[in-house]
Amino acid sequence: MSWIREGELNLIEKISANILKAGPMPKHVAFIMDGNRRFARKKQMERQEGHMQGFNKLAETLRWCKHLNIQEVTVYAFSIENFKRSQNEVDGLMVLAKQKFEKLLEERENLEKHGVCIRVLGDLNMLPLDLQQLIAKAVVSTKTHNKCFLNVCFAYTSRYEITNAVREMAWGVEHGQIKASDVSEALLSECLYSNNSPNPDLLIRTSGEVRLSDFLLWQTSHSCLVFQSVLWPEYSFWNLCEAILQYQLNHTSIQKARDLHREHQAFVQLEADRACVAEHLQHHGNGKPADARRRQEALQHYATCREERIHDFLEALQNRRDSYYTDLLSDAVVA
Amino acid sequence: MALLYGLLWRLLLFLVHINRALVSWLRVRLRSWKGRLWERAMSALLLPVALAGVPDPQRKVNQDPDANANPVTGNRNAGRRSRWLSDGRSLEKLPVHIGLLVAEEEPSYTDIANLAVWCMAVGISYVSVFDNHGIFQKNNSRLLEEIVRQQQDLVGGDGSKYDVEFLSQGRDKHQHHVVSCWPSVKVLSPEDGKQSIVQAAQQLCRSVENRERSSRDISVSMLDLLLRDSKSVPDPELVVKFGPVDSTLGFLPWHIRLTEFISLPSHRDVSYEDLLGVLRRFGSCQQRLGQ
Repeated sequence: MSWIREGELNLIEKISANILKAGPMPKHVAFIMDGNRRFARKKQMERQEGHMQGFNKLAETLRWCKHLNIQEVTVYAFSIENFKRSQNEVDGLMVLAKQKFEKLLEERENLEKHGVCIRVLGDLNMLPLDLQQLIAKAVVSTKTHNKCFLNVCFAYTSRYEITNAVREMAWGVEHGQIKASDVSEALLSECLYSNNSPNPDLLIRTSGEVRLSDFLLWQTSHSCLVFQSVLWPEYSFWNLCEAILQYQLNHTSIQKARDLHREHQAFVQLEADRACVAEHLQHHGNGKPADARRRQEALQHYATCREERIHDFLEALQNRRDSYYTDLLSDAVVA
Repeated sequence: MALLYGLLWRLLLFLVHINRALVSWLRVRLRSWKGRLWERAMSALLLPVALAGVPDPQRKVNQDPDANANPVTGNRNAGRRSRWLSDGRSLEKLPVHIGLLVAEEEPSYTDIANLAVWCMAVGISYVSVFDNHGIFQKNNSRLLEEIVRQQQDLVGGDGSKYDVEFLSQGRDKHQHHVVSCWPSVKVLSPEDGKQSIVQAAQQLCRSVENRERSSRDISVSMLDLLLRDSKSVPDPELVVKFGPVDSTLGFLPWHIRLTEFISLPSHRDVSYEDLLGVLRRFGSCQQRLGQ
């Protein structure tokens, strides 16, 4: 079945959507689509069928999100921990993923019409090569679309993502592009797989489990978390509305907490810059303590240089990531 | 048209707030009623319990009504202590490390101290206390005094069994070696979350800068080791969140990958039964660990 569902909301749904849209709406929603296997057991169908139903529900949810002006959606499709499942089930999921990405490529025109940009986040080199190539095709062909964004976390865990970001920064240090003192919260965020997206405003987990299971741990530190007991294949428009309402009720207090955190981050950065400048002045000064104006100038100059360094480093990082995909595509052509 | 929808939205929010107020009023009134009545009242209010943010009905527990009010006697304390221990043993599973996340303005030291003492009495080895503004961490010593005082009141003079090893993470990171059988209380603030990860990253990058290691050597387990100030303290298996805010507010992002989150409406005037109810719910959580 298709990734894109056409169709308007019915009258009651439309009215409810308009009421919700009068309040603050999340711009980026993350889903942990849990409950496919329990659904399959409940309906006495095969596990694989449960996963298929789960995928159909994803397509429908994307349609609702479009009508609710939710521009970006991130979903947890396959965790690195899921490799521990039986070989049978893992192979089945890989086959399902291949089918879905092939279907995606067939629907390229439709994706262009709706402006859907697909990104896949995770340690993709853990996946079979043919799946990696399909993913590369899907990502590269939708790269320029910018009306809505779907991020699929595949072969992903948050700890691997954070560790990879640290490794990238260390690579930058190793190659003299940045200094160890440039490492900050903001820089780490820019090195995550999700660096092209804002942090999720709302995280929804279905099937009644109340944990994060290694999903977007860094990015959701100040997100609204909603745990719903409905199984994913049974998710309805009203469940989504309920979650958004929860987001709206929390909006002010979470916004306050986010602002507080941002202020603190800026303070920490300023202090770090000051310490670096003080050290520099000490080493290169002429023994006399620097006056306030000289210190201020040195501080501004240092901050500017630091930002330039970081900008160049991040550009190099993006180039390396892009070339991973283009290499896969050229291998696919040759093969 | 937009104005109409705006008014309807405000009406919707107003109704939800009324509903919540009614539910929490009922919670106090129906506290001692049987579970089924409670569920019927909830469904009559047409609101899922999750949205109301109210704990599940608890089984009636034989409770000493003036536990905190009256002066302490040795026998009463011994009775309470053994009851708490047996409650702990009767649970299907008990977390080794519990987090108390206070997402409310103006935290109450007495209530948190009570919770910490109950957690330790029930058999939980490590208790982490967190609030979004870092108030507990700034007033470290006051919290410690309160815990010691509550320990005296609730558990009695024989406090040696429950020695509190007070770990305070702050700018001066003292390494306290925790003997694994003693319970310990840790006070955390948002700086212990993302900032700790950044500091660990800086440490690794500095060692790469000094050519002590290569960037390729950096692994999940290496980072994990740096973020753990003691090998014996596991990740928190359970975090009890107090307050109306549905967010972790920066609580230890690295460590909460498999943590169960259970919410209580407030930490003010929280009772032992509330805590026990949460621990029972934790007992029924099943982790499949990806499988």
